[in-house]
Amino acid sequence: MERVFTQREFLVNTVLPAVVLVATAFAVVAIFYGTDSILRGAHDAFHDFRHAIGMPCH
Amino acid sequence: MRSSGFTGFLGSGVLAGVVWGWIAMALNSLTGAFPYEASLASNLAGFSFAGAVFGVMASCFLFVFGRFMPFKGVLPKAVITSGGLWFFLWGFSMILAFLDSGRYHFAASQAMQGLALSLLMGAILSMVVRKGCDAQ
Repeated sequence: MERVFTQREFLVNTVLPAVVLVATAFAVVAIFYGTDSILRGAHDAFHDFRHAIGMPCH
Repeated sequence: MRSSGFTGFLGSGVLAGVVWGWIAMALNSLTGAFPYEASLASNLAGFSFAGAVFGVMASCFLFVFGRFMPFKGVLPKAVITSGGLWFFLWGFSMILAFLDSGRYHFAASQAMQGLALSLLMGAILSMVVRKGCDAQ
């Protein structure tokens, strides 16, 4: 059975995952490594979280 | 898995991530692997947000790469995805610890706890994704 992809389906299932992946990758790097240069205050805000999940910190 | 749609996966990721963040907070309190320095309210917000971000990332990877994994169920796919993500991030942090040992210090007990938590994230994510698929 032929299935026609609408433009909305293409955006939601192809473009949106790529955009969300890139955005969350930046957020994850900032949170997991506490890089204040990416997100100001990330080091202090997520310090306990970082230790709890085993990421090396000072 | 694809039938539930990406937005369904995103919602599942946020929900699983927030729950996982709370569990991580409670588990760390029980094990005492790292004595908390911030207040309960601050940690509750931080763990919830960070958990949601990790949950979204895990669900994204599960949505994109899950169909290529040689498993039938969602559980092994989700566990391998979240565990693999954690291991990749932890491995890179070990390189940082090697390059800048004054800034990054390795703690084995925290790393073991983190690995266990990442596997738990996969289990929670698979449960939420399955519930979402059943509801549709």
